[in-house]
Amino acid sequence: MKCEDSRTLFPLFLYGELSFEEEERLEVHIDECDACRAALAREKALFKSIDAAGILPSAELLADCRAELHERLAHVQPERAGWWEKVREGFTIHFHFAPGLMQVGGALAMLLVGFFTARVAPNSFPGAFGKAGLVDPATSRVRYVEPVGAGRVQIVVDETTQRTLSGTLDDQSIQRLLLTAAKDPSDAGLRVESVNLLKNQPQSAEVRSALLYAVQHDPNAGVRLKALDGLKDFAADPETRKSLTQVLLKDDCPGVRKEVIDMLIQHHTDSMVGVLQEVMGKEQNGYIRMRCQRALRDMNASAETY
Amino acid sequence: MAQVAVRMDESELIRAAQRGDQRAFEQLVRLYDQNVLRLAMNLLRSPEDANDIYQEAFLRVYKNLHSFRFDCSFHTWLYRIVTNLCLDALRKRRVRREEDTVVETSEGFLDRMDTVEESRAHGDPQRQLLSRQLRGRIREVLDGLTPRERAVFEMRHYQGLRLRAIGDMLGTSEEAAKNCLFRATQKMRAALGDFV
Repeated sequence: MKCEDSRTLFPLFLYGELSFEEEERLEVHIDECDACRAALAREKALFKSIDAAGILPSAELLADCRAELHERLAHVQPERAGWWEKVREGFTIHFHFAPGLMQVGGALAMLLVGFFTARVAPNSFPGAFGKAGLVDPATSRVRYVEPVGAGRVQIVVDETTQRTLSGTLDDQSIQRLLLTAAKDPSDAGLRVESVNLLKNQPQSAEVRSALLYAVQHDPNAGVRLKALDGLKDFAADPETRKSLTQVLLKDDCPGVRKEVIDMLIQHHTDSMVGVLQEVMGKEQNGYIRMRCQRALRDMNASAETY
Repeated sequence: MAQVAVRMDESELIRAAQRGDQRAFEQLVRLYDQNVLRLAMNLLRSPEDANDIYQEAFLRVYKNLHSFRFDCSFHTWLYRIVTNLCLDALRKRRVRREEDTVVETSEGFLDRMDTVEESRAHGDPQRQLLSRQLRGRIREVLDGLTPRERAVFEMRHYQGLRLRAIGDMLGTSEEAAKNCLFRATQKMRAALGDFV
């Protein structure tokens, strides 16, 4: 393989989209060619940079989209397949080769057979799941099976059933569920909605601690912003300020840092001077730098450390 | 209302939604909507346009769900709708003036994309500057790709979909999707080679 040919294959190689033979030929060449090995390393670095440029929509945008869709769905009627269409389409699979009239004939014949069989045959199927204790197989999962003698079998089933709960935010069980949902790592939208509800109850110590946790640790900026919103009345509380200071110095999102600086500079404390000077030393965002500078001036402090 | 989400099997959700169960449909939406929004956001670079695509795509799915026959995966069917909408929007946008993500605010100029997500090179201003420049350059190159190249690149690079699936979603062959991806990566390499 020539170096030029090998390098044109790099992207597909890194995406795992080469055939077995192509991959094999490329790997053999890379093993033997220092220049191509170096070029592949550069290609990997390029891929890594492109990874970092991807945009993740904020949880807030996701939550807004979901809320809007929920509203709009209420006013939309899904189109339904008519009974004739259902019958016709249902039999298209089985009588695909037959002309239209035969399909109708086949359908009627099967209906009649089904009807008379049900009248004549012993009633052995209904209740089969009921006898086994299964309410809905779609929401059950067999976890373990074991023969227990005399032809009987014992089955352990995990059942999941959906329940709808409603109540006020003061309700402890509702609050507990929201606190759990606020930490669900798989669904940023669920977290943002939960934190949005919880932020109305910051007087509860448990809720406040969940909001502080979200502000410091949630990977999604939208969730962090919602949590900050709930902590606004506690901007003077020492524990809250300590957490906010950490967020100001470490958070990736300029929007979050902007909110935090606005909250922190509402109350001037001695320890703030050092923090603001540290922020001035490394902050890139013009708005945050301006707010820091103004707060330091109000506290008669220098914007720089000497 | 607090809702305890219990995941039902996808085909059960589809069947329930086909029977008109809106809640089942919304559960179905949540299986895919983060990736749908991400795809629209990366292709259109505007939260408002991404939201429009999100609404339009899921409303179309909802209205036409009765015609879904499990001939292909629901994922493929949904992405076919989403990518078609995104490609249309990109083509229309090419006709009118390209939208700028930089807007003027009372606090000066602000890149709206910076408020979406920033992967910051922690603590090192030099690296931050470089990563910001590189990000800007990558966006410029992406903007210069054709709508199809951009869609294929986004689906392969950021969403990790296989070329065969991408071909199905775009109504083309795996080979054509591969060629699109190849052209897109060539352009990226040519434009970004100096940065890495």
